[in-house]
Amino acid sequence: MPHGSDTEIAIRVDDVHLALGDDPPLAVLAGADLVAPAGEVTAIIGPSGCGKSTLLDVIAGLVTPDSGSVVTSSSGRPVLMPQRDALMPWRTLRDNVAAAAELRGTPRSDARALADREVAHVGLAGFGDHYPHALSGGMRQRGALARTLLAESDIWLLDEPFGALDALTRSEMHRVLVAVREQVAPTIVLVTHDIAEAVAIADSVLVASPGPMRIVSRVRVADAGPDAAHEILTSLRAAGVNA
Amino acid sequence: MITAAQVEPVVPAPPAPRRRRVRWGQVAAAVALPLLLVLLWQVSAWIVQPREWILPSPATIASTGWDVRERLWYHAQWTILITIVGFALATVVGCLLAAMIARSRVAGLMLYPWIIVSQTIPLVALAPLLVLWMPDFGAMVTLAALISIFPVIVAGVDGLRSTDPELIRAVRTLGASPGWTWRHVRVPAALPRLFTGLKLAAVFAVTGAVVGELVASDRGLGALTRLSAGQFETPVTFAAVVILALIGIAMFLIVATAEWAALPYSRRGTRPGSN
Ligand SMILES: Nc1ncnc2c1ncn2[C@@H]1O[C@H](COP(=O)(O)OP(=O)(O)OP(=O)(O)O)[C@@H](O)[C@H]1O
Ligand SMILES: [Mg+2]
Repeated sequence: MPHGSDTEIAIRVDDVHLALGDDPPLAVLAGADLVAPAGEVTAIIGPSGCGKSTLLDVIAGLVTPDSGSVVTSSSGRPVLMPQRDALMPWRTLRDNVAAAAELRGTPRSDARALADREVAHVGLAGFGDHYPHALSGGMRQRGALARTLLAESDIWLLDEPFGALDALTRSEMHRVLVAVREQVAPTIVLVTHDIAEAVAIADSVLVASPGPMRIVSRVRVADAGPDAAHEILTSLRAAGVNA
Repeated sequence: MITAAQVEPVVPAPPAPRRRRVRWGQVAAAVALPLLLVLLWQVSAWIVQPREWILPSPATIASTGWDVRERLWYHAQWTILITIVGFALATVVGCLLAAMIARSRVAGLMLYPWIIVSQTIPLVALAPLLVLWMPDFGAMVTLAALISIFPVIVAGVDGLRSTDPELIRAVRTLGASPGWTWRHVRVPAALPRLFTGLKLAAVFAVTGAVVGELVASDRGLGALTRLSAGQFETPVTFAAVVILALIGIAMFLIVATAEWAALPYSRRGTRPGSN
């Protein structure tokens, strides 16, 4: 796995400030910095409501920050996978996944064929005709992952993608993600509440302060070794989080 | 660190879809109550023997209805036509207004409060005016549309505003334009609620048509109830009311069937416990 400062940087967020709402505006990001090395998983962990999703919106280009800069190396746009309701209930699994190709201009029938391939890729072969409500939570997130794959972006923004799943399904999804990643090697920014998940999947973990958000420390999982989880917990506590 | 060379497939494989059978038990349960009431009515009519022009028995209503079937059909055609055209008008205009209100803040502020306020006017009172202003048919259709448009607008606006922001966030990063998001996300997301409004509107449209006929027309089942009751042909009045109920039920079922066809994903019974 690529390592350290000699690798290319895929996302660089520099001193981003952002206030949302109008009466009165609420400071959500207060000097957020983020560096995501290409091909690595960078996890963001922080208290609820601190501004993690907003930071992903800024990286995705959905929201323009008030100040600061966001640079991505990606040729295309970053693709975002939310925690829940990522699939359109009125489309079958196949058509949900196919939307990613349709939106790149692929004709519908070709998009469907591509979708079938990705559906099989995430272990859902045979479920293409099912509507999301007939799938389990884990299967739905596999579907969202298939769509993310088909978007063919080299930057994935995963916003607590497994947060709504039970522990068993979550670890199953971790294996799915790791397997998928070995084949396509995207740069991933993973927002999570779960220290164990961060340590299991990420190359480095960024600890966020309570809102307005800043990144207060960075833990490289490989360097920290078995102490990684403890180090993350310590930084969270130092940032004033009751963890 | 976890590694896995291959993604483990989900087990088990999906079951083959099963066809639903007609459940006669459910059908019986659905018609049991009205049958029982009619039976009770018939039996008490035998015992009490009320005068026919005050309260005819179900059997009298049925036989009289059959005798005057051509007259009933002449009036029913008119009412059905007005109901359908009025409902169609309410659907088209209602959806357009809902889209404008949900789409533009200014349109929402300008229109929505007044549409709600307009519901405090007893629309029935407009019937004589409408007849003054336009031909009978137009007046009746307008009244049916005015009475049934409100649920279409409210359900449409609520539906269009109900889209999950997370879903919009996800498709936008896939490259969806606002137009695509509108067509493929916001409108489909609004449909379940819109159909609730349409089902109400379908039934209201019958009321609208009848009220118009009752007040200001010589044709239609509404007019027939007025004229026949005025001449103490009470069994005919009852027969007209029964047909009106059937028209209302038919309107409801047509919209419910359209909903069933348009929203395959929301059909009941696709998951255990979902009905
Ligand atoms: N459009 C908006 N207008 C006003 N305030 C907003 C808006 N969007 C988000 N916020 C506020 O910004 C803060 C950060 O929200 P955000 O969703 O980014 O948090 P988060 O870290 O992702 O939380 P969670 O872990 O619960 O998902 C919250 O306090 C929220 O209320
Ligand atoms: Mg969030």
